[in-house]
Amino acid sequence: MAATLTVILVFAAVGVFPYFVPSPYLLHIGTLIFIWSFITTAWSYMGRFGLVSLGHGAFLGVGAYTTGLLFNFYGLTPWVGMLLGGLAAVGLAVVIGYACFRFGVIGDYFALVTLALGEVVALTLIAFRDITGGSLGFTLKSKGTSLFYFQSEEKIHFYYVSLAFLILGLLVWKWIDRSRMQKALRAIGEDEIAASTLGVGIIRYKMVITMISAFLTAIGAVLYAQYITYLNPHTLSGVAPSLEIAFKAILGGMFSLWGPTVGTALIVSLEEYFRVVYGSTFVGFSQIIYGLALVLLIIFLPKGIYGSVQDWFKKKA
Amino acid sequence: MTELLLNSIVNGILLGGVLALLAFGMNLIFGVVKIIHLAYGQCVMLGMYVVYTLAVQMHLPVILSCIIALPVMGIVGLVLQLLVINPLLKAKANPLTQLLALAGLTIVVENAAQVVWGADLRGINIQLPLIHIGNVFLRTSNLIAFFGALLTLWGLYLFLNRTYLGLAIRSIAQDLDSARLMGINPRMIYFITMAAGGILTGLIAAFFSPIYAVHPHFGGSFTLMAFIIVVLGGMGNLLGGFIGAFIIGVVTSVSAVLTSTEIADIIVLVIFISVILIRPQGLLGIRVSK
Repeated sequence: MAATLTVILVFAAVGVFPYFVPSPYLLHIGTLIFIWSFITTAWSYMGRFGLVSLGHGAFLGVGAYTTGLLFNFYGLTPWVGMLLGGLAAVGLAVVIGYACFRFGVIGDYFALVTLALGEVVALTLIAFRDITGGSLGFTLKSKGTSLFYFQSEEKIHFYYVSLAFLILGLLVWKWIDRSRMQKALRAIGEDEIAASTLGVGIIRYKMVITMISAFLTAIGAVLYAQYITYLNPHTLSGVAPSLEIAFKAILGGMFSLWGPTVGTALIVSLEEYFRVVYGSTFVGFSQIIYGLALVLLIIFLPKGIYGSVQDWFKKKA
Repeated sequence: MTELLLNSIVNGILLGGVLALLAFGMNLIFGVVKIIHLAYGQCVMLGMYVVYTLAVQMHLPVILSCIIALPVMGIVGLVLQLLVINPLLKAKANPLTQLLALAGLTIVVENAAQVVWGADLRGINIQLPLIHIGNVFLRTSNLIAFFGALLTLWGLYLFLNRTYLGLAIRSIAQDLDSARLMGINPRMIYFITMAAGGILTGLIAAFFSPIYAVHPHFGGSFTLMAFIIVVLGGMGNLLGGFIGAFIIGVVTSVSAVLTSTEIADIIVLVIFISVILIRPQGLLGIRVSK
């Protein structure tokens, strides 16, 4: 009960925050945190059950590019495009997921197959440069502030929309937690063979969770693209964004509801801090610290920051 | 067109030689330390920066710079073993955790390179003559790399098969517990393997330096390439890796000529995914039941 109250209070505080501190810069940072937290939360639906994907960039790219290209070439509203992009990502997830689960590819091998998948999508986007603009990416046609075209020149709109999406992502986590699927997937994650002898449909459950994760990741990418109004294969697909999603979630703790959000908030703020304080002379500097922190955390705190803090409190109680 | 094709096949074979050396290092580390060294290409990149710093910024002769790069990269290998791999082994981390930790390491290495050397392309700018035999054009630097790599592989083969230390390394790779019972200290062998792997990255860097200009994201594609070859040949299978390197070398080179470099990379990645799905033991591997 106290926990629920805290959560409501935190969201209320985040919700009214722009009225007390009307800074466009802080709104921008907040929006980025919400969007990427939504995506890392969606990633963790799979990650927490041992399905560590290093290729969620593939779903980002497919979702954002489907929506963006349909809008730029045919004027299709991103609200419909978003669903189509999500479905395209689900289609890709079905193909690669079924292949992996059917052949029993798990653990580090699953991570490596998905890593290759993310790169395949990036290279495809670059190769079809006549349509996608290749490595340079493309800009969404500007429609000013339009609800129908999901574009806005007011940062505050995206602040609230992305906050709403983040809450949706967290609610889906809760829903998964209460479902039968959670028990089955946990059993599979712990011991796949034992679970299958008990009659748990391994492929089916893994497929469902992968499809949900891919769909919401693609939606998150559309949200990001609509906010930035620019799509680039290097920020929306390929190895770098795929690893970043995984690392933000792992850093915060992919096994707990708030872990991915905490990890994302931490990394985004840290990056901004270094960018503001040290400027462009130390472009790589924040990334070095981020990488070092990651390596150390992965070795010594495998449950992530939030997960470890949670454990510590549980031990005290 | 046939000339172009012939040229690309020959260049693919030459590339395959160096890739074989790259895959050998990764394979050896996987076989002995049982770790997928996901930062291997990044180590080659560091080696190339060492060569660049010595040859261009400190005006040393290129050959001397390349020779100095070998022990320097050997030390880098030792440091990695001490600071990253030993703690991972001590924490009994599962393979996935090890993979993620090394992926995190690539971020550190790439960005450290960017802070130290900047994001621009750095090359040692030496011009070696072009040789042509019939209709085939060959770059001397590629030839040196090819024959150098083959010679090194031969040396490594002799080392592993004819020396006592080589025997110890192979026995650790084959059966850790039995090797330990025979009085081999695995920790020592791990250090030696990582140092040898490090020296190899230095050597590859020396071969690459006259061919490519280096930049902070240079290593990533070579890590991926080496790993794809290792998987194709069967993880830990040195002969398989050797054959796989030439297959991948020729496939990339020919498909880059026929289509575009992106499509060539896609083809290689699709081969990789298919091998993991359908034949995870690799081309020459034997399936081990879990």
